[in-house]
Amino acid sequence: MIANTRLLICDGYVLKSLAQSGLSWLEHNQERINQSNVFPVPDGDTGTNMYLTMRKAYAAIENINSRHVGYVSHALAQGALMGARGNSGVILSQLWRGFAEALEGRVAFDAPLFAHALRMAVDRAYRSVVDPVEGTILTVARESTEAVVAAAKNEKDLLILMQIMVEEAQASLARTPDLLPVLKKAGVVDSGGQGLMFMLEGMLLNLQGADISVIADVVSSDSRWEDALVPDDEAGYGYDVQFLMRGTDMDVDAVRKAIDDMGWSTLVVGDAQLIKVHVHVHDPGQPISYAIGLGATLDDIVVENMQQQYEAYVSARQQQEVHVHTSVEDVAVIAVANGDGLKQVFITEMQAAAIITGGQTMNPSTEDFLREIDALPNNEIILLPNNKNIILAAEQAASIAKGKRVRVVPSRSIPQGIAAMLAYVNIRETSGNVDEVAAAMRKSIDDIVTIEITTATRDTELDAVQITTGQFIGLVDGKLVAANDTIETVVRNALYDAGADERELITLYYGDGVDETQATALVELLTDDFAAQEFDIIPGGQPLYPYIISVE
Amino acid sequence: MTKIRFVTDSTCDIPTDLIEKWHIGVVPAFVNYGGESYADDGIELIRAGFYETLPSIDPLPTTAAPSPALAEQVIKATFEDAEHIFILTAPAKLSGIYNTLRLAATEVLPKGSFTMIDSGTVSMALGWQVLIGAEVAAETGDVAAVKNAIERVREESRLYGALATLEFLRRGGRVGWASASLGSLLRIKPIISVEDGEVNSLERIRTFSRAVNRLAELARQHAPLDKLAIGHGNNPEGAQQLQDLLADIAPPDTILFSITPVIGVHSGPGVVGVGVVGKSWRQ
Repeated sequence: MIANTRLLICDGYVLKSLAQSGLSWLEHNQERINQSNVFPVPDGDTGTNMYLTMRKAYAAIENINSRHVGYVSHALAQGALMGARGNSGVILSQLWRGFAEALEGRVAFDAPLFAHALRMAVDRAYRSVVDPVEGTILTVARESTEAVVAAAKNEKDLLILMQIMVEEAQASLARTPDLLPVLKKAGVVDSGGQGLMFMLEGMLLNLQGADISVIADVVSSDSRWEDALVPDDEAGYGYDVQFLMRGTDMDVDAVRKAIDDMGWSTLVVGDAQLIKVHVHVHDPGQPISYAIGLGATLDDIVVENMQQQYEAYVSARQQQEVHVHTSVEDVAVIAVANGDGLKQVFITEMQAAAIITGGQTMNPSTEDFLREIDALPNNEIILLPNNKNIILAAEQAASIAKGKRVRVVPSRSIPQGIAAMLAYVNIRETSGNVDEVAAAMRKSIDDIVTIEITTATRDTELDAVQITTGQFIGLVDGKLVAANDTIETVVRNALYDAGADERELITLYYGDGVDETQATALVELLTDDFAAQEFDIIPGGQPLYPYIISVE
Repeated sequence: MTKIRFVTDSTCDIPTDLIEKWHIGVVPAFVNYGGESYADDGIELIRAGFYETLPSIDPLPTTAAPSPALAEQVIKATFEDAEHIFILTAPAKLSGIYNTLRLAATEVLPKGSFTMIDSGTVSMALGWQVLIGAEVAAETGDVAAVKNAIERVREESRLYGALATLEFLRRGGRVGWASASLGSLLRIKPIISVEDGEVNSLERIRTFSRAVNRLAELARQHAPLDKLAIGHGNNPEGAQQLQDLLADIAPPDTILFSITPVIGVHSGPGVVGVGVVGKSWRQ
């Protein structure tokens, strides 16, 4: 994996090729970076911004062929400054600027000058920000630089130094969530730091002889964070093994080659008396046994199970995706609804604390309400019956509930209940008083008209409408207004009766016998009559009613 | 009399004639999509056309701060004609523009020759801070007086918006609450404010006409008004409706404007907004 040739100096040609591979690797990984963008603003474009910045930087040297590293780095930094986009892009441009300033007038750089230039780069970057925040691209730049500065005292091979830099950048990146709570909460690493790491990694891959341009684009733009984290190797992430070997007359190159054959991410540095080994392997016993077999004394042995760390990370992230709606201090709502879609509207969208399954033919009892009231930790509770036949049971429960302040908002339909819930989410943040909240909810239920579409169960004449069994019938606010064999006709007539042509928004909740295609097709047929109105189609999943419609 | 000039960014929405009248330097922000980056300068991005194509651009455009080099050019050019520059920008909490302009100014201007102000808001609520600052500068030529006036205007100015859809704010990702579940099943038209660098959700409303009524009520809370501006993202009818509702309290220099694409990327098309300054800042 590791090229055997040592790289002692870097000139303008090498720097140009490094910049190109850094750019390619950034481009290749930009979507992954975008996905972890939460700081300072979670707008998901850090990867794009850093890529655009670096693209402009590279464009500035694309046609320059010069051995003079000072000249090339100056042009590169100018390009980055011109192309800088977003916070991380600006910081990246400042890193290049500091780097270029240190190389001014130099034809090439060696290990000590590389370390010096990196330090200048980090200084520049820190000075460019009003209040430097740790746990960001700044930290990754600084810590990876510090690792190079320390190593450059003994190590002259720029390839090794680059390897150390990337390793530390990765480690530093992994620590960013510990420094920045917003990252930990979102379960991501810092995106700017990640961008920097990828740029450096691209450069390292170039030095190691990899041709980045032929690496297939495996990260699709819609991949989720779980996918992005899945290890490349089927056997999983394996173990991270590190130790010191002490001995006499040890052959560093031979040890490096042997260790590298056992795993990946190999780093073996040192001299005949002391060697530091770092490697990722599936069998941690292998490198340790090998070192002992050479007659060396082992020290500072660290073995970490990376697969376990990865699994813990994934599981921690999955845990966070559970939503909690009410805190004990809040006024909580218990709503009656039937159908998965409607329940989801009340719970997920409108933050009801509990749902009692029920409706037209399944009226919950006072006891059902009392059970839910007792089960909630909240002391102030509002009941939403959402059906005129359920209001009484709710009022009964409210009057006998012990030790809690319970109010009923007498919603007679699902659309009224949803309108009341919207008032609830609007006021709950500013008012903690159950009577105030209930009053706002009550006021809102008059703003909308409810249409219910169902089928007749017997022949009859009702509200002066003649109906036969099996026909579709339409009710507007509980009053029968239309009956027909065609559902479209019933819905259209009911909408006109509800005055929908003078209103703004028509929401259709389709029931469990209807699918989305049918609901959409129905709306298509109605758009000529209601061209000025907006339609919203929601899966309700309610039984008995193919459509429940609100007009507002 | 110190000769004072102003630099701001393109999120300010100040109409061209006033920019020319006060010689305001405007640094454009950028809108990225389709692999390209466009300056929000009224030349690369045309407002009406942009809102028409916005819903069909996939993935959604993103916005970015300008490069420090571009900011340096604008600042240098504006300073040629001035002894002191006020730089007012979109909030640092929402955008990198503040930091970019600060870096650029530090680079090209002598120490002490400029004043950085984070307006805490965008659009004409930022615009009014700049314009009133320019008026006070013309009257007094006094840096301290201008600074003081802007700080008081900042306290008394508000920006409210009624979004036609929550979709763009959610996908734009800069606003935490917009990414939460509310509005993911039902269509919601949120009323928002932009204040102290925060985009707040004031109310969730389902019909746009009710949302516009609510905007008018919110604007009225600041009457009597010193300044009023009504903006929209390709929704002149909505803006007209709001203007009619506020006709009785509108000052003579009321501005009607089209909201700039950099903000439009986050608000989505159809937005109607109002930027007000209460008269009380003059007391």
